Amino acid sequence: MIRADHAVGGALAALGLLVLALSGDLPIGTLSFPGAGMMPKLLASLLVVFGLLIAVRARESAPLADVSWQDLPHAMRVAAVTGVAIAFYQTLGFVVTMGLLLFVLIFGIERRHPVPAAAFSAGVVALTYVLFSIALKTPLEPGLLGF
Amino acid sequence: MGTVESLLLGFSVALQPDVLWYAFLGCLVGTVVGVLPGIGPLSGISILLPATFGLDTTKSVVMLAGIYYGSQYGGSTTAILMRIPGEASSVMTCIDGYAMAQKGRAGAALCIAAVGSWVAGTFGVLMLTLIAPPLAAFALRFGPPEYTALLVLGLIFLAYMSSTSLPRTLLMACLGLLLGTIGIDSMTGHFRYSFDIAELGDGIGIVPVAVGLFGLGEILATPSANVVRDVIAPKLAQLLPNIDEWREAAMPIARGSILGFLVGLTPGSAHIISSFLSYGVERRLAKHPEEFGKGAVAGVAGPESANNAASTGAFVPMLALGLPTGPITAVLLAALMIHGVPPGPTLVNEHPDVFWGFVASMYVGNLMLLALNLPLVGVFVNVLRIPYAYLYPLVIMFCIIGVYEVNHSIVDVWIMLIMGLAGYLLRKFGLDPAPLVLGLVISPTLEMSLRQSLIMSNGNWTIFFQRGIALALLALCFALLALAALSLRRGRKDWRSRLAEAEAGDCAVE
Repeated sequence: MIRADHAVGGALAALGLLVLALSGDLPIGTLSFPGAGMMPKLLASLLVVFGLLIAVRARESAPLADVSWQDLPHAMRVAAVTGVAIAFYQTLGFVVTMGLLLFVLIFGIERRHPVPAAAFSAGVVALTYVLFSIALKTPLEPGLLGF
Repeated sequence: MGTVESLLLGFSVALQPDVLWYAFLGCLVGTVVGVLPGIGPLSGISILLPATFGLDTTKSVVMLAGIYYGSQYGGSTTAILMRIPGEASSVMTCIDGYAMAQKGRAGAALCIAAVGSWVAGTFGVLMLTLIAPPLAAFALRFGPPEYTALLVLGLIFLAYMSSTSLPRTLLMACLGLLLGTIGIDSMTGHFRYSFDIAELGDGIGIVPVAVGLFGLGEILATPSANVVRDVIAPKLAQLLPNIDEWREAAMPIARGSILGFLVGLTPGSAHIISSFLSYGVERRLAKHPEEFGKGAVAGVAGPESANNAASTGAFVPMLALGLPTGPITAVLLAALMIHGVPPGPTLVNEHPDVFWGFVASMYVGNLMLLALNLPLVGVFVNVLRIPYAYLYPLVIMFCIIGVYEVNHSIVDVWIMLIMGLAGYLLRKFGLDPAPLVLGLVISPTLEMSLRQSLIMSNGNWTIFFQRGIALALLALCFALLALAALSLRRGRKDWRSRLAEAEAGDCAVE
């Protein structure tokens, strides 16, 4: 039976091997003058060792099938909306991007009434803009529209 | 300059109106952060870090530290009134605090938690005042081998104290250390794992990783439908405990303060561990242990005092040695560095206004928190009435602003999103992200000191065993590893296993 720690240990050991493969051109150097590759290669090797250790002792963990993924669709939706907001943040600026982000999350993902969602989004964005730009003197990203 | 004169200098800085204002702001935000479940002090500090760029070093550190110790006060409110820990360190307060609230003693429980927090916080600052300067003076003897040994000890101690298994903690620490090697190698100029992305040349920042793992990761792992809030409204007229309750609280507060401060000096999630240990100690010492779980005053007073003393204790290695004992102090160190103040043993002498101003502000901050958390508890309870569906989008917005404003780098914000997803997966598989952040923070120092040690000894690795301090620190490392191995070999449950079980839901720490 595949257990949760088989997956975790295996994945992290594989990550360690990948890092070792990517470190090919980094010089290890000598003990008297360690090179740029010494520390990363040492750590990647330790990652492989600890990953395998966890995989070997996996019988103490729960079966992989028991890990609940019920919240995954919600998490993916939130992450996707956040990703889109990040992609447009520098283009559209703080006010537009964050106003849309809040509205889409509250109305689109959480299925709340659109009027309070819009009012909350607009109010919070305006308040934050004033707080950062005026009170804290930390101007937020202006974007194409200039604010 | 003696301690008293230095402290007076600190008060002359801390009592300036603008410093007082930022201390108050930090305490206020910290209390709100502590009250709100799902937003920890780390997210709060990281998000507000960019807002301190326009301030001088003292004001910014005073405000950010206020968020940290303020959150320890605020966490108890949610624990007592809702049986939800606003902070991980308030888990134990949930049990007897909520039981007291159900018996109509919510006000008394809140008052005991606030007074205990104040006593412990003030005790912690007093000890910090006495211990940090001589420790910093001693640390001036440290060279690269001593720092290497100290950092290794920090990691091993963290792994030993962790309630998850030793290999899992070390695995996460290795991952963090590995992430810390990304960017230009400062000794040879080699680019490491930057994949032609210019922003990665400077390495991966602490803020995007910390905000992603702890802020966004927590949100992704908390579906809003699962957040149900049932708040017991405290009767403010009944805020004062009766004489019996004060008597029952006195010794647990004293014990919690001492225990919490000592645990706070060690690496790891000290403020969490200290509250679990204090609960266990109080239960063991109680004349009527059967009352624990049914509204025992000591079950609130001890853990709440311990977590506050621990959060102050964590400032000792941070200020005296420049070493973070956890992700929160790591971000505070980053704040110092961003403001051009190198943390470490020289901080006390080279920036006495920052050091002593910060220490003095904590005396004042603890008083502010006492004033904030008692009369205004009703206001904070109202914060809990904001539906989670409205609250978490707000937090995501602040995560994005917080990370972006540090370097005005959109790559950092993408890193935060990736780390948020990683944090979600780590939670699913029971891996603690805290060692990863700690590894990331100490990675450059550890690598530099290790390589410098080898260079200065011409490749002779026994240098670590030839110098007294380094040898003592490494001996401690081996002792801890031996203890962990012994416990593993015996297959017996020690206090760490019981702590892990309690954290997982069964709160019977004995």
